Amino acid sequence: MTTHDFLLEIRTEEIPAPVVAPARRDLARLVAEGLAEAGLAAASSESYGTPRRLILILRGLPEKLEDKFSEVLGPPASAAYDAEGHPTKAARGFARAQEIPVADLVVVDSPRGPTVAARRTIPGKPAIEILAAAVPKAVLAMTFPKTMRWGDGGRAFVRPVRGIVAVFGGQVVPFELFGVASGLRTVGHPVLSELGIRVSGPDEYFRRLRASHVEPDGAERRVKILEGARALASEVGGSIESDSDLASTLADLVEWPGVVRGSFAPEFLELPEEITTTAMRTHQKYLPVRGPSGLMPHFVAVMDNTEDRRGLIAKGNEWVLNARLADARFFFEEDRRQRLESRVPELSRLIFQDKLGDYRQKTERVRRLGETIAHAIGRFDLVEPVTTAAGLSKADLTTRMVKEFTDLQGVVGGIYARLEGQPEPVWKAIYEHYRPTGVGDEPPRELTGAILAAADRFDTLGGLFRLGLVPTGSRDPYGLRRAASGIVAIVIGRGWQVNWKPVAREALAGYVDLPAGGVEEGLAELEKFFAERLRNLLERRGNSHDEISAVIGRGVWDFADAADRASALALARRTTDFRSLVLAAKRIRNILGEAAPGYPDPALYREDAERRLAADFLQARALVDELNASRRYRDAMETIASISPSLDNFFEKVLVNCPEPELRQNRLALLGSIEKAFSRLADFSEIVVEK
Amino acid sequence: MSAKLSRVITLQRLITDLTAYWEEKGCLIEQPYDYPMGAGTMHPATFLAVLGPDPWRCAYVQPSRRPADGRYGENPFRLGRHLQLQVVLKPSPEDVQELYLHSLERLGIDRTEHDIRFEEDNWESPTLGAWGVGWQVVMDGMEITQFTYFQQAGGIDLAPISAEITYGLERIAMFLSKVNSIYDIHWNDAKTYGELRRADEFQMSKYSFEVADVGRTTLLLDQYELEAQRCLAAGLVMPAYEATLQCSHLFNVLDARGAVSATDRVGWIRRVRNLACACAKAYLAAREKAGEPEPEPAAV
Repeated sequence: MTTHDFLLEIRTEEIPAPVVAPARRDLARLVAEGLAEAGLAAASSESYGTPRRLILILRGLPEKLEDKFSEVLGPPASAAYDAEGHPTKAARGFARAQEIPVADLVVVDSPRGPTVAARRTIPGKPAIEILAAAVPKAVLAMTFPKTMRWGDGGRAFVRPVRGIVAVFGGQVVPFELFGVASGLRTVGHPVLSELGIRVSGPDEYFRRLRASHVEPDGAERRVKILEGARALASEVGGSIESDSDLASTLADLVEWPGVVRGSFAPEFLELPEEITTTAMRTHQKYLPVRGPSGLMPHFVAVMDNTEDRRGLIAKGNEWVLNARLADARFFFEEDRRQRLESRVPELSRLIFQDKLGDYRQKTERVRRLGETIAHAIGRFDLVEPVTTAAGLSKADLTTRMVKEFTDLQGVVGGIYARLEGQPEPVWKAIYEHYRPTGVGDEPPRELTGAILAAADRFDTLGGLFRLGLVPTGSRDPYGLRRAASGIVAIVIGRGWQVNWKPVAREALAGYVDLPAGGVEEGLAELEKFFAERLRNLLERRGNSHDEISAVIGRGVWDFADAADRASALALARRTTDFRSLVLAAKRIRNILGEAAPGYPDPALYREDAERRLAADFLQARALVDELNASRRYRDAMETIASISPSLDNFFEKVLVNCPEPELRQNRLALLGSIEKAFSRLADFSEIVVEK
Repeated sequence: MSAKLSRVITLQRLITDLTAYWEEKGCLIEQPYDYPMGAGTMHPATFLAVLGPDPWRCAYVQPSRRPADGRYGENPFRLGRHLQLQVVLKPSPEDVQELYLHSLERLGIDRTEHDIRFEEDNWESPTLGAWGVGWQVVMDGMEITQFTYFQQAGGIDLAPISAEITYGLERIAMFLSKVNSIYDIHWNDAKTYGELRRADEFQMSKYSFEVADVGRTTLLLDQYELEAQRCLAAGLVMPAYEATLQCSHLFNVLDARGAVSATDRVGWIRRVRNLACACAKAYLAAREKAGEPEPEPAAV
């Protein structure tokens, strides 16, 4: 079967940088699915994206589907041909129904004897036809965070489509999308290349594009950017951070990445570094340059151009950055005229949340929660720095700097607190209390920061859960998932062995201005919510699904303890005894069902196996209790597992559901005690084992 | 084209050059609207004209007032009142990006010597019930133009779609002449921007941040809202819309004055939005009555 390559380019106006990569992958997936439905598959598939193009290349696509052969049986040969061998009416009727000439009928063997058959070759559909239907369907099935309409309205897409290249084996795959017909023509870089490009296949396409200053491969663009940036930085004796996120974003903002270096007035280095680097990275997407003694007054910018011919690009970027830094310095100096404490009254005018009061009130609640948590972890010596930090923690929301650089909330407060002479535990707590800011981010490093971060989040969760605003599905407008995950991450990271339920209750109840009620309901929802977050975190740490279920089933509110038990379980389950234990646990669970059998009476044991089990159990339980008290969960679990030979023996030798009611009750009671004692650690019956 | 670079860049020439360019491209040259507004989008030649099916191309300068952005004439980059050059192209042409880039060339900007990028920025105005999808045009790191495909106005989905191009004139002038302060821009060959505007900026900032009477302003807001509703009831769209513009502006004054709490803000935005949407609806209804074609539902 002959195969060909297929090239698809959807040329658009600039697609938002974060959408480029997901879009080209989505396109590849949808086309592959569409082709598979039609029975077509390529040997390989590659997709690429630039801000102005979504590109798909399929190699080794068969030029058509396999021909199909069909054979349909008709009347018996005896009825189909007369004595002279001419076809009868029956034969002719059959041939007509099968739409083939009578002369093409053949006689074949069949279970009925010799039978007339109609054989047909159904030619395979040409791939070009399949593509012409499947590709537009796939494109229209693409989803984006936001779509738009243009021109006369009509269909929406991520950005206006300006050209389509669709070529298979040198031929145009004909279709139309958004009023644009597919063809062989595209354009190169809109600024650097004037000529149109006519292509007949993928390899030619890549060559011509690159010759026209378009690099289709985002990974290549990213490499070029980092290499170029490193070279420019080392020219001034500095280096750039590996900053992968920014480099990836920059790669998807240009079609031909060039780099320029600029500098800013060294006096701006007096500003706190966080502010200077945020202005560079977040606002301007520059790569900061660092030297041996720290940040240098240089930056590297990316341009969608080959060179900065007259130096205007560097000059322009420098001018903008200096303007932004001058602004930042203006805010900094304005802000510094007022101490953080004196800003606190202004917080009464800043609403935290509709119905949940203002930030001044929040500050008060967070102070109290901070104190509670400090006590809960046994560090009453930290109450003072924590409550001081809490009191000042939101003051920076009234500063010009935070109004301008909103991501720097907390950081700015911490910096200002430091400049005002607050001790380290206080200013660092303020600085860090919004961390972790996301999944990749670290929790606060300072202990006071960790306490404050937890207190702030408990307060936020408390208020919103009290109002019943539990996140559903994909809607979490207040970032509650992140807040709860943050608490779980902090607690487990620090190993704080605390039952957080009373703290959560205090958080819910702290909203005294709300109408009475909603606390216990909120608490119940919050427990479920924390269970999910705990599950996520434990999964990320490598615990398997069943381990997590086993552990969460036995208590959520002490997160660190749950994590310890999950880790213990992951290790303990590797022993063979453990496997037997799990099977036994499941068996016990099945036998007991809903029964609450009470305590076993040793006088009622009849079999040796019962007595042996009871003895081993009592011994194990004593040891397990000791181990639990010192939280040596792995040893505890292995100790529990050590009675599984006795359990196996018991099940082999003893009939639990025996006819005598007293004995039966007693046996159930024995099993019940075992289950009760050991399942405090984990619900072993949740563990999945191969039989 | 390079001859232009040797001339001093003035705000005045910027305006005439851009206006001439867009006039050549078939734009009707409107005049600034005589009511205070925060953006050129609020001018009826954009907000109302984008509604309905009829084609439209226009360009105009619009002074845009944002009291909260005032800086007493002291900050070299921010103004409480700045000038926008607004262009509306309805329906959006296929070569709209090229048209825009050629306008920059008219200003003496050689595309090959600069880094010009279209970076995602989707504009939204909750008070107008309007939003669009598009970009900030960033030249050598500086945002110079808001480029939007208008999707909805007054709560009504648009068909056809209008392209809206908004140039920040002071910024562009500042950037091209590389001065360190907006006030150093040349307005014309004889006068600087500062000579004309610095005193105003100081007085208007003082008013917006310190002097504006909250009670009176709130009362005026309420009264204009009532008046807008009365006009709508009387079937007079333009006076209703003008009263709405007043509401929007007075809200901005109150906001700058610090008299709007976060909960109040939600309420006020809703009230102004309701007026704007009612005006949009009334506008379309009036055009329908006058025999204008009904807006065609967008093809699916």
